[in-house]
Amino acid sequence: MYFSPEENSEVRAAERVINGAAVTLRGVGKTFGERRVLKGIDLDIRPGEFVAIVGRSGCGKSTLLRLLAGLDAASEGALKIDGSADDVRIMFQDARLLPWKRVIDNVSLGLAPAFRRRAREVLARVGLADRERDWPAQLSGGQRQRIALSRALVHSPRLLLLDEPLGALDALTRIEMQQLIESLWQEQGFTAILVTHDVQEAVALADRVLLIEDGAVALDLDIRLARPRERASTGFSAYEARILQRVLEAPPIEPSATSHDVRTSGIAHISFAI
Amino acid sequence: MSNRTFTSLSQLRQKLLPWSLPITLLVLWQVAAQTGWLSSRVLPAPLDVLKAFWTLAVSGELWRHVLVSAQRALSGFAIGGGLGLLLGLATGSWKRVETLLDTTVQMIRNIPPLALIPLVILWFGIDETAKLFLVSLGVFFPVYINTFHGIRSVDAGLIEMGRAYGLRGWALYRDIILPGALPSILVGVRFSLGFMWVILIVAETISAQEGIGYMTMNAREFLMTDVVLVGILLYALLGKLADLLARTLERVWLQWHPNYQSR
Repeated sequence: MYFSPEENSEVRAAERVINGAAVTLRGVGKTFGERRVLKGIDLDIRPGEFVAIVGRSGCGKSTLLRLLAGLDAASEGALKIDGSADDVRIMFQDARLLPWKRVIDNVSLGLAPAFRRRAREVLARVGLADRERDWPAQLSGGQRQRIALSRALVHSPRLLLLDEPLGALDALTRIEMQQLIESLWQEQGFTAILVTHDVQEAVALADRVLLIEDGAVALDLDIRLARPRERASTGFSAYEARILQRVLEAPPIEPSATSHDVRTSGIAHISFAI
Repeated sequence: MSNRTFTSLSQLRQKLLPWSLPITLLVLWQVAAQTGWLSSRVLPAPLDVLKAFWTLAVSGELWRHVLVSAQRALSGFAIGGGLGLLLGLATGSWKRVETLLDTTVQMIRNIPPLALIPLVILWFGIDETAKLFLVSLGVFFPVYINTFHGIRSVDAGLIEMGRAYGLRGWALYRDIILPGALPSILVGVRFSLGFMWVILIVAETISAQEGIGYMTMNAREFLMTDVVLVGILLYALLGKLADLLARTLERVWLQWHPNYQSR
């Protein structure tokens, strides 16, 4: 679950297999009654990219994720994911495990019995192989989210959607989970879209951070920091401060907001452990 | 070793404690009856009741009545409960069926089944069908209402998750909706098992040639208070048995539920 210090990010990048799905949005909007929650979103997400979506509550970021998951239909525009519905898996803020199924049966939900071995492997990968016969009620919040993560990964998704999955966890468990998600993303090469209200989490995990404000993309920022990322580094803090400042800034939105021209003071190569 | 003996002893005491009050009452009752303070016309002594029970059991008469009553109760329960379950599942799952049926069911529900006795006698006479009908009607509503409520209160988030993970139709029903509704359905079953005996007792005392109700009514005619008491106690025992059955179902089917875990 932890990175070994000698592993270097360039090696990781070279090794990484990319089998994620590309996502394309053209003028996507969503209206609930009178309220336009999302308006004219244009977005291109590359295969294997890790995108974090941040924004104040009610800005429409979760709605965008639900559209991508196919849980809601867009009111306007075109949304394209190169893959079938089975290639997309979502992880919710609450783990949404079935309380009447044992851990192993939760992980293999919707799978043919032949895939149970694979379910066990994924369970072992998140470090909960010994809990497979437990009921969800016997697990802690962090363990439940790890089960939910393996339930999503057992399908080998090409697009993994994460709807504030770590929002309810304590700080330490949250950092552990972030590391787990990052390493699984590096191993499996899926495209990941993470909705979060935690700017630090976004900078720690994402290749690219999108800020949504008033139903539109207000900031689209590439995070050019090597992985694993050192939270205490100057570069990290610079990104974090910049995004946070932009979130807190009152509208109107400055026209140059969608930019990729970030000056970073330094890229950290320091390994970390918690 | 001695420690184990001690724990098993305290466990035994724990088990016996709930029975201490009824046993004391029984002893007091026996003493009161034997000293003549309590007339046997009002309440016969517990030992006399036991004797009556023994005589009836040996002659085989008791078992015949119990069998007939149990058959009536269970077939009524199967019919009424089964219909309640099916209809509850239908109205809970499909909005259209609910719109069509629920108002009617709620109206009929408010009529006490026992108020229908005169009508039932007119329809079916006083034979088996009348009793079966009354029991079925009585158990139908608790099962129906709790099934309907159970289906409706299944966590919408879980259903959404199931859909997002590719579950459709029967698979969604089997893995999420039915197990989610099960705790509520079992509450209905437990309630209706209790109600089942109430209805049956009344139905049997009105008119019957066999059954526990008939046995007690017949004994009343001959002022055999001890047999009347045997009948009443039999109902209590059978009621407890039904409750035990419902509890066992809960323990087996709801073992995932923190409230029903055996430890």
